[in-house]
Amino acid sequence: MLQHGPLLERLLAGDFICQISDEDAFRHLGNEQTQQEINHYLRPLNRRLVSNDDGSVFYLGYHELTKEAREHLSSQFALTVQSLLPLLEWLQLVQETLGRDSALTAGDTIKLQEFVLRTEDNQSLRQRLNALASDRFFNSQSEQLDSQVKLIFRRLKEHGYLLQPHSERQYYIVTGKIDHLLDVIRFIRDEEQLPVDDTPSQEALL
Amino acid sequence: MAPLDSQLTSNLFSIGAERLALLGKHHKALMQGYLDGQVDETAFSEGALKKLIAARILWRPDEQQPLALRPLVSELIASMVADENRRQINADVAEKLEQIRNRVQAYRDAQYKGDYSVAELQLQRLTEHVHDLSGQFEEAIDSLWHRLNSDFGFVSSLDDKIRENERAQKQLRRLLDGLDLLDFNELIELSEGNNHLRKLLVSQLQNQLSSHHSSLLEVQKRLVQLLAKFRQQQARSMLIANMAAFLRQHPKYQPADYPNRSELPSLFNQAAAIRPQAAIALDKASERAVLAELVRALPRPSSIELPEQHSASFAELLADEEITARQQALKTDVENFYLRVIDQGGKLSALDYLAQQQLSWDSEIWLYQILAEYQALPVEEKQMFAIRREEAPASAVNQLLLIRDIQIALKAS
Repeated sequence: MLQHGPLLERLLAGDFICQISDEDAFRHLGNEQTQQEINHYLRPLNRRLVSNDDGSVFYLGYHELTKEAREHLSSQFALTVQSLLPLLEWLQLVQETLGRDSALTAGDTIKLQEFVLRTEDNQSLRQRLNALASDRFFNSQSEQLDSQVKLIFRRLKEHGYLLQPHSERQYYIVTGKIDHLLDVIRFIRDEEQLPVDDTPSQEALL
Repeated sequence: MAPLDSQLTSNLFSIGAERLALLGKHHKALMQGYLDGQVDETAFSEGALKKLIAARILWRPDEQQPLALRPLVSELIASMVADENRRQINADVAEKLEQIRNRVQAYRDAQYKGDYSVAELQLQRLTEHVHDLSGQFEEAIDSLWHRLNSDFGFVSSLDDKIRENERAQKQLRRLLDGLDLLDFNELIELSEGNNHLRKLLVSQLQNQLSSHHSSLLEVQKRLVQLLAKFRQQQARSMLIANMAAFLRQHPKYQPADYPNRSELPSLFNQAAAIRPQAAIALDKASERAVLAELVRALPRPSSIELPEQHSASFAELLADEEITARQQALKTDVENFYLRVIDQGGKLSALDYLAQQQLSWDSEIWLYQILAEYQALPVEEKQMFAIRREEAPASAVNQLLLIRDIQIALKAS
């Protein structure tokens, strides 16, 4: 267990561990024996290891759902629901701004400067970014494009959706937490039977 | 027959060389024609156009249509530059097989007749056909890999990529079907009793085709994987776009309360963060040296030297007798002021009193001492007095207020 000290610390701090955010740790977590050991260690803390369905990301959940645990989960869920639209809009904005033909996935790299340059000359992208930056999830007070973009990316980094490999270099890598976000969206869609398609209609195929 | 043959060959040679040279001579205009889909006729002289049409490099597909490159020339260019948008895959094996059978027959006939030069020529042609057959697969496989490795980057949208991938899979199935047409038992029969043929048709061709076969299977596997990835990406993009649209249309939308369900979906089971903290412990003697080192390494706060201030000079504690006496006098005068307030019962302005009594104190010092005396009173006595400051802003640019005067009144208890 000693070797997993730093990993445990990250997990306890609420980090999501995926192949991008910590390749070694992620590999260790794939091992069933390690999972059991970690769960055993976490038991007195009322924590356990949780992963999403396709096992691309690990994080800690409660072992027993006490009253306090439910309270925390409720308030966290409220925050998640609040953050859905700004995050989805950000995903769309990045895809359109960078002219990508598919949505961002874990491991994709975004260069901040490229994003700024492409937004600068496009009035409609500029307006959408402006609206997004002032959303309370990002809560930017600035009118400057550059600082708006920096704030948005910093907030996403704080929330674990982005990784900045070098603190002085402005490029970011999308982490596996984005998979978790999409799982959440898919779950809500299925549970609530929302009219939100993700398969092309027959017409689109033809 | 031989001289005629050589004459034909030299004729072919000169025409072929001349026509190949035409390609080189007009390379830029022809390449532009390849890119545009039609040829700019003004770029050529009339004679050149005639020659190019005669050489079957250019043609007019229809009376009304502009001149264009012949399909075979376009194909040649597409293959040379690996332009996957235009590259053709030829999966026709049956025709090639037929030619191989015929050549083998012709070769055997010539040998039987003892016409060795003809047999040699037929063997030469046969070799070419065998190489063609193999080359046809090699070209197709090269094109498929090229498309795979570029992630179908030659088309821009995801939908196009999916369509291109499906097209490539169909081509691949035709190629595999073509390979199935090759019956090695038949080829072994064809080459029976002849070393040359056996080497060409059996060992060489079989080797090549079996390696093509495994390449094709590998490409097929990768194409299927890639298609699945494309479809997944497509589903993701659509989910994002449609969910965002839904949330925009329903700004008040609130999903059910999953965290309080009896069966909590694990997606929403994210525990609160615990951050392990540690502090210095002195219970291990062995660690003391390390801790001492740490303490020594702490950056010392550099003391900031403030310039000496002379303004509030009365606050300085000087044991000078004269000053002590003056302070005592000031204190007595202020006490008298408070006594007057008590005697008089109404409110009294500090500055009015100062002027009235013709005291020599500086007004600022006077007011300061009155405030100081008030603050020094015990709480019960403080409550006996109502203190009102007359303040005025120091300037228009900030919020600083200056005390002009103080009025002290005795409160009705």
